[in-house]
Amino acid sequence: MELTQDYLDRLDAVQPKNLPPTLDLFDEETSRRGMRLNKAAYSLKHEEQRALFAADEERWLDQFGLTAEEKKLLVERDWIGLWRHGMSIYVMVKLLGVTGTALPEVGKQMRESGGANG
Amino acid sequence: MASVVGGIGASHAPSMEHIYDAGEEVRQSDEWQPLFGPFKDVAAWLEELEPDRLVVIYNDHMDEFFLNAYPTFALGVADTYPVADEGFGSRPFPPVPGDSRLGWHIARSLVADEFDITICQELEVDHGVISPLPMVDFSEGDSGWKIPIVPLAVNVILHPLPSPLRCWKLGQALRRAILSYEEELRIVVVGTGGLSHQLTGPEFGRVEEEWDRKFMRLLAEEPESLTRYTYEDFIKLGGTESVEVVNWLAMRGALPLDAKPLVEAYYAHRIMGYGLQTFEVAG
Repeated sequence: MELTQDYLDRLDAVQPKNLPPTLDLFDEETSRRGMRLNKAAYSLKHEEQRALFAADEERWLDQFGLTAEEKKLLVERDWIGLWRHGMSIYVMVKLLGVTGTALPEVGKQMRESGGANG
Repeated sequence: MASVVGGIGASHAPSMEHIYDAGEEVRQSDEWQPLFGPFKDVAAWLEELEPDRLVVIYNDHMDEFFLNAYPTFALGVADTYPVADEGFGSRPFPPVPGDSRLGWHIARSLVADEFDITICQELEVDHGVISPLPMVDFSEGDSGWKIPIVPLAVNVILHPLPSPLRCWKLGQALRRAILSYEEELRIVVVGTGGLSHQLTGPEFGRVEEEWDRKFMRLLAEEPESLTRYTYEDFIKLGGTESVEVVNWLAMRGALPLDAKPLVEAYYAHRIMGYGLQTFEVAG
């Protein structure tokens, strides 16, 4: 038998499946959903992208093939909405500088969200 | 031949950078002394130990690697590592010196050992390396960084992640790579990240002191027992972002089993369980 129990156990453990809805995972589903938004936020590691964001946010938004809904979440600084649409917290923090947002504000929204992103 | 002369486990966090950069007075304030005070003990210990290199097992936070092609394990083989711009401009530090020759040797040894790492000739290091590093490897003023590093990045961001057992074995393979290096270098292995923190969802800010202290105990006394935990376990115990603790587990794998903890500190504060643990290796 090629598919040994040891292999099957490892395959089972590699993808957490029994997390409560309050604990999320950045995985296949989330990263596929969030690719455009994550690309947009990731761009802000470059000084010229931050300058463009500050000068003309609409033009900055137009670079990443975002949907109208995704653009709206960004414009409204809807952190919980961005998270639910697959934005990783690690690129979300790159938006804090250009939007003048403190992490506790994101935390406050997260705590009040009452639900998962999956 | 090269040898492993010690180990360090240390949290990493942007908050540590903000406080470090705010200056000595803030670092030694009542609020932050419990975190920065013990780092002074680590610095004093290192000064006495005089290691020639640090191998830093860490994770990037999408400051160098991105989701277009995310490496599971990535090794730096450069002679210099610039400090990444994480979205706020780079911190005012010179690039960290590397050791290309040692890096390439570790690359060959890991591949020979069936760890097929991504080999990085250029790599910008982010707070995964830079937030704890100044406390143990930086002289303020003109002298800059004291100890060249070899960075080794583990994917703890995009699931599926390499299993805790795999990270432990990576540390063991790193040990073989160091012991087989012909130059007489004394090397300290560092693992950064964790401990408990949760940055997303309604449990934002959750810290689990009891689990963090248990983790440090197990890492010291029964490290192999931690290889039986799954990521589901770690996330339930310490939060989604706490999975970075596998960097500590890899560090521990590079040390002898009987390595003894020396400096040990823990500080649960705001949204983080900050841990610090050094290991002595019998000469």
